[in-house]
Amino acid sequence: MRGDKGRPYTSPHWVTDAWSEVDDGRVVRVVVDAAGGDNAPGEIVKGALAAVGPQLQIILVGDEPRIRGLLPQGVQNVSVVHAPDVIGYDEEPATAARAKTGSSIVVGLKLVHDGEADAFVSAGNTGAVVAASVLYVRRIPGVKRPAICTIMPAMPAPVAFLDVGANAEVRAEFLRQFAIMGQAFAREVMSIPEPTIGLLSIGEEPTKGTPDVIEAHQLIAADKRIAHFYGNIEGRDIMNRLVDVIVTDGFTGNVGLKTIEGSAKAILGALKATIMWSAKTKLGGLLLQKDLQILRDALNPEEFGGALLVGMNAPVVIAHGNSKARGIAQAVRMGRRGAVSDLLPTIARELGTSGASV
Amino acid sequence: MTREEVFEHVKGILVETLSVDEDKVTMEARFQEDLETDSLDLVELVMTMEEKFGIKITDEEAADIKTVGDAVDFVMTRVDA
Repeated sequence: MRGDKGRPYTSPHWVTDAWSEVDDGRVVRVVVDAAGGDNAPGEIVKGALAAVGPQLQIILVGDEPRIRGLLPQGVQNVSVVHAPDVIGYDEEPATAARAKTGSSIVVGLKLVHDGEADAFVSAGNTGAVVAASVLYVRRIPGVKRPAICTIMPAMPAPVAFLDVGANAEVRAEFLRQFAIMGQAFAREVMSIPEPTIGLLSIGEEPTKGTPDVIEAHQLIAADKRIAHFYGNIEGRDIMNRLVDVIVTDGFTGNVGLKTIEGSAKAILGALKATIMWSAKTKLGGLLLQKDLQILRDALNPEEFGGALLVGMNAPVVIAHGNSKARGIAQAVRMGRRGAVSDLLPTIARELGTSGASV
Repeated sequence: MTREEVFEHVKGILVETLSVDEDKVTMEARFQEDLETDSLDLVELVMTMEEKFGIKITDEEAADIKTVGDAVDFVMTRVDA
C-alpha cells in the first residue's frame, strides 16, 4: 500500500477526512457528555464547538450553568441539558447506570433512546458508558454482546481492533459476531471496501488457541457473511497490518491495546533521549525533526478520538479519558459518521434474528 | 396473571433481550451457571421486568433472584398484591 508522498505509511487523515464530509444533507444531533473525562468540561466543550455546524448539532449534557459559562455568545447549533450527577470511576458500572438516572451518561443516552439525538460521545467511565448503553439505548436485536472497536494507527495504515474492553470473557459465538460487526465498522467508518478479518490467537494454525478461539475460527471460516477471513493472526501482526480487522475478547484486547500504547511511548521516549544525547545526535535530530513529527502524528491515537461501541442501536463513541479538544472533536465526527453511514443497518441485517448464519 | 403466563413473559425477555437459548430456560435454570448471564445482563433483566410488569425491584431484592423460578415467584407476589 502506498503511503502519503511515497512514505511507507499513511496518516490517520486517510480514515478521518471522510468523517468531516458533512455535505450529505443530513442533520445529525450528537450528545456530548460534558462531565466525563480528565479534562471536563473545558476541553470537552472546546472540542464539541470545533466540530459543530448546521449538519452536526451538539447537545452538551452536564452542569448546565458551568457549561453555559464556557459557550461563546450567540453560538448556533448547540443546546445544553442539565445533569447534576456524575458516575465516578470507582463505582460498579451496572448498578450505577441503573441508579444514577441524573448522571450525564444516563441523561445523555436517554436522549438518544428517546429519539432526541442520534449519537452519544463520552470520555467518562468506560464501564458505565457500556452498561448504560446496554440498559438505555439497547443492543440491536440479535447482538449478543456489544464490543468496543478501536482504530489503531498501525503501519502502513490504521486497523480496527475489537473487543478492547467490553467483555472480559466471551464465547465463540460472540467472537463470530465481533468479526461481523468489525467488518461493518471497517467498511462504513474506515472506508475500507473489502476488509480482511483476522482472529487473534497464539499461533497461525486453526488448532491453536483457547477452546472458544478454536471454535470461533471454525464458525467464522464457515460464515458467508464474513467476506475475507484471513485466519488466525498473532500479536506481532497487529501493528504490521497483516489484516484490516483484528478480533479478540475484551481482556486480551485491552491488554494488547495498552501494551502497544506503552511500547510506542517507551520507544519514542528512548528515541527522543537518544536525539538529545549529544551535539552530534541533536544535529541529526534537527535534520529528522519534520519527518519525525509526521511519523508521530501518524501514530497518534488522539486523531481518531476514541472507540465505537458496536452493536448498539445508535453510535456510542467512547473517547479516551484524557481527551483534549482535538480528540473530542474527532470523536464527535466519528459519531456522526456512525449515524449517517450504513453501519447500523448492516449490523441489524447481518445479525438480526431473522438472518441465517451459514 | 397465571404462573405460566409470567414464566412465558420472563422467558421472552431472556430470549429476545438477553439472547439466551430458549431450550435452556426452565424454572430451575440458574442465571449465572446455566444461562451464562453476567452482572450487566441481570440488571438489564431486572429493568425489563420492571417495565413489563409495572413493578419496582430494589437492588436487595434483585440480588436474591438467582433462578428463573425466583424471578417468576417475585413477579407473582408483586402482581397479586
